[in-house]
Amino acid sequence: MGSGSLLSPLVGIDISVGDHVQRHVFGLTINVDIVWATLIAGIIVITLGLILRSKATSGVPGKFQLLWEMAVGAVQTQVDDSIGPRGAKVVPLAITLFVFIFTCNLFEVLGIGSKLDWLPAPTSDINLPLAMALYVIVMVHRAAIKNRGTGGYFKHYVSQPFSPKLFPVNMFMNVIEELVKPVTLTLRLFGNLFAGGLMLSLLAALVIWKLGPVPIGGILSVPFTLLWKTFDMAIGAIQAFIFALLTILYFDTAMAQDEAH
Amino acid sequence: MPIASNFLVPNGTFIVVLIAFILVLTVISKFVLPPLNKALTERQEQIRGELEAADKAKADAEEADAERRSVLEQARTQARDIVSQAQTTADQIVGSATADGQAVHDRIVASAEAEVVVARQAAVEQVTARVGEIVLVAAERVIGREIKASDHQDLIDEAIAAVRAESSGAAAGAGGAR
Repeated sequence: MGSGSLLSPLVGIDISVGDHVQRHVFGLTINVDIVWATLIAGIIVITLGLILRSKATSGVPGKFQLLWEMAVGAVQTQVDDSIGPRGAKVVPLAITLFVFIFTCNLFEVLGIGSKLDWLPAPTSDINLPLAMALYVIVMVHRAAIKNRGTGGYFKHYVSQPFSPKLFPVNMFMNVIEELVKPVTLTLRLFGNLFAGGLMLSLLAALVIWKLGPVPIGGILSVPFTLLWKTFDMAIGAIQAFIFALLTILYFDTAMAQDEAH
Repeated sequence: MPIASNFLVPNGTFIVVLIAFILVLTVISKFVLPPLNKALTERQEQIRGELEAADKAKADAEEADAERRSVLEQARTQARDIVSQAQTTADQIVGSATADGQAVHDRIVASAEAEVVVARQAAVEQVTARVGEIVLVAAERVIGREIKASDHQDLIDEAIAAVRAESSGAAAGAGGAR
């Protein structure tokens, strides 16, 4: 351990990634910590939603209701502007995605950079982002088939963006695009949150940096961690927003009436 | 590192969290958003209704104001008419009174003049009736003997005629000067 090295105090620290409390059920590996964090996030969202429902009034709204209504209103406006009235079904999905992802992302603030957190952000594990991204993409394709009909759906792959004569090129580009969508959607969210957790581990590892008896790293890690967590909360909000926004945009493309794009 | 334990590779957790997510989505979209949207829509309706009521009240107030203005204007016009009518009536009354007065005055003056002329005529008649007698008496006193009227009838008549002519000329002159 480089306790004496000024320039690279962290050289040689082993920060492990992707450690989880795991159980094996029916031959499947389950990350138990991610599961319970997801369930807790879900319970928080549902509880807040039900509290809101019980308090929802057409009269003067409370602060909490106002916050919800603002979020709903923002998503509604976004959907109305891009998709139009046909997009009404997308609104609950986008709102749930935003609120749920944001709640999950906030768990990262509880982390202290230990090898195993009690309540890790479920979005910092690839399973939840992938689950949500695949769900969204499946729904997007379902909407596209509903919108264009099965024939129109497949025709769409070969007939644009170039002239149908170039259908192999069109097909190649479209298939790649559709395959990339869930991957980017997953990795963007996962990567941001995973990196946030990694930053916490690095800041925690600063603690071993000492100059003689002076725990420089320990002193530095406190304000750095606070700063990082503040920043991380903003990242969590932005990533939740981007996920919901991209969902709306994908639905927009799928539901577009025609060759506008 | 075997691929199954790579942190980039999904594992069985995927199924569990997918179910959890769909559960959350269902609850939110079935039980939370509808009443919330209902409240939102109701509030919008309420606000729209209130705005409409406010608009109506404003229109009513404007209408009432316009009516008040028109009534006021009408009252002003009426008052002006009444005043000018009263003025006209007063002018008429004054005019007719003046005319009546003038007529009365003229009549009085005319009858007075006529009386004056008559009285003067009577006086002249009286004087001329007695002037010969007086002249004769005066002449007897002057010459100391009786003078017979019949002897000097021509002279007397002449004098009377002269007096008459003078008096009527004076009367005519007086009438012309007036």
